[in-house]
Amino acid sequence: MSDATVAAPLARPLLSRRGRELLLGYAYLVPVGVCLGGTIVVPILRAIHMSLYNHVLIKPQEYRFIGLGNYARLLDDEVFWLSLWNSFVWVFGSVSLQFVGGFAAALLLHQAFVGRALVRTVTLLPWVIPGVVVALVWEFIYQPNYGALNDLLFRVGWLRERVAWLSDPWLVMPAVIATNVWRGVPFFAIMLLAGLQAIPDDLYEAARVDGASVGQRFHHITLPLLRPIIVVATATRIIWTFNYADLIFVMTSGGPANATQITSTYTLLQAYSNLDFGYAATLSVVLLLIMLAFTVVYLKTTRGVESVA
Amino acid sequence: MSRSRGTADLAERVLGGPVLWVGLALLTAFALAPFVWVFLSSFKTRGDLYATPLVYWPRAWTLGNYVDAWTSKLTPFSRFFANSLWVSSVTMVATTVISILAGYALARFRFVGRDLFLLAFLATQMFPAVLLIAPLLSQWHALGLIDTYQALIYSNFSFTVPFTVWMLVGYFESIPRELEESAMIDGCGRFGALCRVIVPLAAPGIAATAIFAFVSSWSELLFAITFTSQTEMRTLSAGLLYMVGQYEIQWGQLSAGVIISTVPVAVLFTFLQRHLIRGLTAGALKG
Repeated sequence: MSDATVAAPLARPLLSRRGRELLLGYAYLVPVGVCLGGTIVVPILRAIHMSLYNHVLIKPQEYRFIGLGNYARLLDDEVFWLSLWNSFVWVFGSVSLQFVGGFAAALLLHQAFVGRALVRTVTLLPWVIPGVVVALVWEFIYQPNYGALNDLLFRVGWLRERVAWLSDPWLVMPAVIATNVWRGVPFFAIMLLAGLQAIPDDLYEAARVDGASVGQRFHHITLPLLRPIIVVATATRIIWTFNYADLIFVMTSGGPANATQITSTYTLLQAYSNLDFGYAATLSVVLLLIMLAFTVVYLKTTRGVESVA
Repeated sequence: MSRSRGTADLAERVLGGPVLWVGLALLTAFALAPFVWVFLSSFKTRGDLYATPLVYWPRAWTLGNYVDAWTSKLTPFSRFFANSLWVSSVTMVATTVISILAGYALARFRFVGRDLFLLAFLATQMFPAVLLIAPLLSQWHALGLIDTYQALIYSNFSFTVPFTVWMLVGYFESIPRELEESAMIDGCGRFGALCRVIVPLAAPGIAATAIFAFVSSWSELLFAITFTSQTEMRTLSAGLLYMVGQYEIQWGQLSAGVIISTVPVAVLFTFLQRHLIRGLTAGALKG
């Protein structure tokens, strides 16, 4: 009898044990939900909303709903199309050179040598320092009169006249890409180095015993086993570089004459200089759509890679 | 690089010897030369900075550029530094707490939509930062948060939190459930088990993600220039840009400012690079 009276309240808790567990799980997710809801979800919805309005901060009297008007304007905007092309050059140039440099760096850093830890740390530094710092350091290097680049090229005898690297419409894109390559090589180096370290040494030993040369080992062991990480690293880098505005924004603000205007800096220009928030929001929504399309293609490709690997 | 079998040994010796050393020298120079140049410039007097042909090694060393940058009324780097330190530290602590809770929940509880949630965290990394600028500006404006630290800290969550949660889920999943279950049998609640068992075991991973949050907030530029308008609210990144915009660029002071902004993250990175790199690459290696 006494057992039953004690057991009765326990037998009917408000929620089952599993239910309470789940509720606790959701409770742990409340902070993350609030902070990402407020800083990502709501702002994105607002950006989409903004893109449907004529919303220029200095002309509040003209604020009104214009439907897809901003999107129609975008189709006729030559600078937008130019910025898309520039974005392509910027992403392709940066990522391909970063990949080549990073792969070479990873192969070097994977070898055993005295002072390896120090060299690794030093070579990874360009990647951790702030983007503004990178931009300003290179602006200084490119400076026509007191910059190191012109001076060094003079001393070697490859230059006769001072070159204004960041004001020449033909040189400016290669110049900002070179800066971005300097910054991004460590990223690929880190990723690929991690990939290299995950390859078992036995494989190389077995291949060596079978008489495979350095080149053959690289081609038949290193490359295929690195493939998944190469795909992941490249795709992340493409997305990141496409969205990345800081470097160009600080170094050239997209100039001269839009020669380095990529889509993300063009969005900033619309927001900061023209205070045209409606159009800036439209541009950023289009940026997002392009990245979504890219991600879908990427996910399909990686599934392919996984099934091969 | 020869591929034929006969020269394999020779190729190996060349690759392991001269090629390796030349490559390493080039790599180090490539990464380091720009830093060295700015570092030396930050100690140069005006005469050396603007000499033709350039003077690489300062003829006279001076700390004047640092003193000027640190105490300048127009661009007070002491203030910028304090602002950056505060914003990055608070972002780091808050991000870590939020992510530990969320990461633990996603690693241990099975609920509907868990995979979708995880995918959403990954997806936010492909969002352009410029997408958030206009809506966040009007949002902080409406809430009266312009020129406050809160606006910067909250905005930083948009890029720190998704990544740290994603990382920590992986760490927590690698810790055997039995460990916390035995702690719970011994009388710990869920939360007690999390604090006493999971967090200590995942400490290296948590440290790596915390450093990530700190370093990326330290580098943040666009939010910092958009949500602040007063000089005394600027962070280092925003202050450096502001310095360039103000007048003809003072390369000496600017170099000093660059070094001031770089040293803390470089030191943090040097001490924690092993953990940080392991943490950052673990996700990619898995899949």
